[in-house]
Amino acid sequence: MARGSNLARVVALIALAAAAAALSNLAASTQRKLAWVGSYPRALDVGAPAATVEPTPAGPAAAPASGAAAPPTAESQPANPVAATTGGAPTASAPFEPDLAAAFPPHPDKAAVEISPDSVELLHRRKALFLDARRSSVYAQGHIPGARSFPVWESDIDARVKALFEEGLDQSAPVVIYCSGGNCEDSHMLAQKLYMVGFDNVLIYRDGFPDWQKRRHPVATGENP
Amino acid sequence: MSVRVQIALGIVFLLAAIPKIADPPAFAHLIYNYRLLPGGAINAMALVMPWVELLAGAALILGVWKREAAIVVGLLLLVFLVAIGANLARGHAVDCGCFDVESAGKSREELLSEMRWVLIRDVGLLLLVAQVLAATRAASRARWTRGV
Repeated sequence: MARGSNLARVVALIALAAAAAALSNLAASTQRKLAWVGSYPRALDVGAPAATVEPTPAGPAAAPASGAAAPPTAESQPANPVAATTGGAPTASAPFEPDLAAAFPPHPDKAAVEISPDSVELLHRRKALFLDARRSSVYAQGHIPGARSFPVWESDIDARVKALFEEGLDQSAPVVIYCSGGNCEDSHMLAQKLYMVGFDNVLIYRDGFPDWQKRRHPVATGENP
Repeated sequence: MSVRVQIALGIVFLLAAIPKIADPPAFAHLIYNYRLLPGGAINAMALVMPWVELLAGAALILGVWKREAAIVVGLLLLVFLVAIGANLARGHAVDCGCFDVESAGKSREELLSEMRWVLIRDVGLLLLVAQVLAATRAASRARWTRGV
């Protein structure tokens, strides 16, 4: 019967495709491989990821003035302490760098806090750990100097996170994660993974690498931080 | 005429499949952006669907199992239409701008507008599929009556 053989052939075509996919995946490099079952907690969630915006850091002249730059986008965060700028431009006198622990306290109750570009600059100067959530090929083309590659979509990401955990770093120290800016949620995804292994102070550079480049900061290339 | 349509359809799908086969994590990321598939199913779809497209496309080009390949292509297009339609309906722009800097700069409205164009394109492709199905139905009916 025509319809029966139609169905059989359709099923055969799909089965052949599945077999080809399995073979192709087996032969793939780490950067191209995919686990057959992935973990995506927000797979059906259309809203923006929950990451509160950095509250104004403690300290007198300490507030990294985000007045000059655009304020952190409030449209995606429902009820958050919007980082109100405290009095505009930074004072022209000697820069006051607040103690990192006071300015960026750990937040064990949430996976991540988004921070302003000025805070990112401060943390970079103070050599905080920076993680790049973008693909390895994109990382190699240009990344924040010192940032380590943690491509959240590549198959070895869970192994990398585990290795990071096993380094025995201070998990309440600030860790900055960035990706491509805009609506990219890769940094939030990576932040979640770090949070799940006990990192209490993950900070997200919301505007990401494009913003770093826009501010004409130095850029490193190649596979190494 | 319908042979040309069949081959053209095959080429479209074959070409569409190649970049997805070349980079499964990127395709998984794209599927994830639609926010329609449960997390556990995303990778399997990212791995298998491009191969289905490739084989169906190749079958159409070679004229092998034409009717079945057209059915598969039609089903794929229906899936794409539902996926894009659902997101247009809820105003969720699918591109996150994670892949190329150009899309990162686009506004939500621009992205939604692009999605509408993709919808129209896919409806057009579905019409081509309908044509191939009509042509192959005539052939298989003839085979049936001849008792082949």
